[in-house]
Amino acid sequence: MGERLRRPKKQRSRGMPTIPLCVLSLIGLGCLSGGFFLAGDAAYMDLYHAQEAPGRAFWFGTDSMGRDVFSMIWYGGRVSLEIGVLSMGISTGLGILIGAASGLAPKWLDAGLMRMTELFLSVPGLLWIVLLRGALGGADVAGLSFVIGMTGWAEIAKVVRTETRQLREKEYILAAQCMGAGFWRILWSHLAPNFMPSVLFMAVMNLRGAIGAEATLSFMGLGLPLEVVSWGSMLSLSERAMLTGSWWMIVIPGGFLVVTLLCVTEAGDWLRERGNRKKSYL
Amino acid sequence: MPALWKKILSFLLSLFLLSVIVFYAARLAPGDPLVSYYGERAEKMTPQEREWAEEKLGLDAPLYVQYIRWFLRALKGDFGVSYKYKTAVTAVIGERVGNTLRLGGTAFVLLAAGALALGLLCARLAGRWPDRLLCQVGTAISVIPEFWLSLVLILAFAVGLRWLPGSGAYCVGNREDAADRLMHLVLPVTAAVAGHLWYYAFLVRNRLLEEVRCEYVLLARAKGLGRGTVLCRHCLPNMLPSYVSVLAVGLPHILGGTYVIEVVFSYPGLGSLAYESARYKDYNLLMLLCLLSGAITMLGGLLAQAVNERIDPRIRETDRILGSEGKGHG
Repeated sequence: MGERLRRPKKQRSRGMPTIPLCVLSLIGLGCLSGGFFLAGDAAYMDLYHAQEAPGRAFWFGTDSMGRDVFSMIWYGGRVSLEIGVLSMGISTGLGILIGAASGLAPKWLDAGLMRMTELFLSVPGLLWIVLLRGALGGADVAGLSFVIGMTGWAEIAKVVRTETRQLREKEYILAAQCMGAGFWRILWSHLAPNFMPSVLFMAVMNLRGAIGAEATLSFMGLGLPLEVVSWGSMLSLSERAMLTGSWWMIVIPGGFLVVTLLCVTEAGDWLRERGNRKKSYL
Repeated sequence: MPALWKKILSFLLSLFLLSVIVFYAARLAPGDPLVSYYGERAEKMTPQEREWAEEKLGLDAPLYVQYIRWFLRALKGDFGVSYKYKTAVTAVIGERVGNTLRLGGTAFVLLAAGALALGLLCARLAGRWPDRLLCQVGTAISVIPEFWLSLVLILAFAVGLRWLPGSGAYCVGNREDAADRLMHLVLPVTAAVAGHLWYYAFLVRNRLLEEVRCEYVLLARAKGLGRGTVLCRHCLPNMLPSYVSVLAVGLPHILGGTYVIEVVFSYPGLGSLAYESARYKDYNLLMLLCLLSGAITMLGGLLAQAVNERIDPRIRETDRILGSEGKGHG
C-alpha cells in the first residue's frame, strides 16, 4: 500500500528484552537475598556516621539517622517489590472478575457495573488510595497492597468486559453453557485464553503503577510509616536531605526505583508485542 | 433533546453517588476532625468539652443524618465551613483554584500541543534514528514517578544551580507580579508535562502509523501531495477524535499528577489542599474537592464526546443507529 512512504512497515519483532530482564532479576535477587549478603542491618543507626556521602565505608552513604543506605536499598526494595506484586495480583483478579461478570451479565447489571467503573475512574487514583487507606487502615505491607490493588482494577475490567461481550455470542460459549458450564468454568477455560494477552500486559503495567504508587504515598507520608524501610519511605526523608544537600538520599533510592520501573515497562512492552503477534494470522 | 437530559441526569446521579461514597469513606477513617478545628487543644479537652464541640460541628448525629444535613445545605450552595481555615469551604477553594488552574491549564495545553508535535515528528520519521532515539528517551522519562522528577528538578535547578525558585506560587510580597509567578511555574509545569508527554506522543505516533497504511494515503500520494501534507491534512484529522477522547479520559491522571506535584513544590493549589484535608479530616473541604475533581473528569468525558461529534459527524450517526437497534457499543 504505502510503499512510497519511507519504510512504512518496519515490523521489527523484538526479541526478549534481555538486558532489562537481567537487571530486573538482579534487583529482585538482591532484594530477596539482602544485597547478596553484603548488606548489614538496615535498621542499625550509627549516629557517629550520620549523613555521610557515599564512600568506601558506606557505598551509598548514610541517612540523617546514620543508617546505611546500601542496606536500606536492598531491604526496602523487598518491601517495595512485595507491595507491587501483591497489589498487582489483587487488582488483576478483581478486574478480570468484575469485567467478566459485567460482560456475561444481563444488560441492566452490565450498565450498572460499567457506570460504577466510570464513577470509580472519575476520581484521581491517588485520592481513592488516600480515602480507602483511611477507611480500611493499612499502615502495613499487606494493608497498603490491598488498598493500592483495590484502585487498579477499573482499566482491566473495562478491557475484559469488551472482550467478553464480543465473545459471549460465540457458539462455543453457548455450547458450554448448554452443557452446564458455570460462570467460573466459562471464565477460566473459554474467556481467559482470549483476553489473557491484553490482560497480561495491563497486569505488568499495574505492577509498575503499584510500585510507583507505594513510593509516592510513602513519600507523602500517607503510606508506610518511617520505620518500615521501602524505597518510598526512604524518599520521604528527602525534604530534610534537600536542606542539608545530601543528594544521595534522593538520587540513589529514586534511581533504583526508576531503573526497576523502566525494566518492568520493557518487559510489559515485550509481552504486549508477543500477544499481538500471536493474534495476527498474517 | 432527550439525549441531553439523559446525560445531565446520569451526570447528577454520578455526582450524588460519589458524594455518598466520599462522605462515608472519609468519616469511617480513623482520625480526629476536632484536632483540625481546635489544633493542639483538642487533645486536652474534657469529655464534656468534646461533646459540646462535636455537637457544635454537627458530628454527634448518626452518619446518615449528617449526610442528609450536608446534602440539604449543599443543595442551597452551602458546603459548610472548613475546620482548619474556619471560613466557608467555597471561599478557601476559591482562593486557591486560580493557582491550580494556572498550573494544570498551562501543563495541559503544553502537553496536548507538545504530544501532537512530537507524535507527528516521530510518525514522519518512523523507523529512522531520530524516531528511535525519541522513543527510547521517552520510555525512560515516562516511567519516572512525578514526585521524584520534581525532587530532582528542585535539587538541580533550585538547590544546585539556584536558577529558579523551588517552592510556592510567588515570592513573599510579589503576589501581583506576573513575571515572578511565571518563574515559579516553570519547574512544576516541567514536571507535570514531562511525566505525561510521552504517553500521548506515542499514542499519536502509533495511530498515525496505522493511518498511513490506509489506501487513501496512497491515492493522495499518487495525486502528487507531499508526505508532510498528507500526514497533516489527511491522516491527522482522521486520528484527532481518538486523540481528543484519550486526552479527556487522561484528565484525571493529569489532575492527579499535578496534585502530587503541588505537594512537592508546596504550591498553594487544590492539590496541596486536598492532601491537607484528607490528612487532617477536614471533612467539608475534602467533600467539595472530591466532588469538584469528579465533576471536572465527567465533564471532560462529555466534552470529548461533543468535540468528537463535531470533528467527525459519523460518530453521531453510528451512535444513533446503534442506539435505535438497542445495542450498546464497545
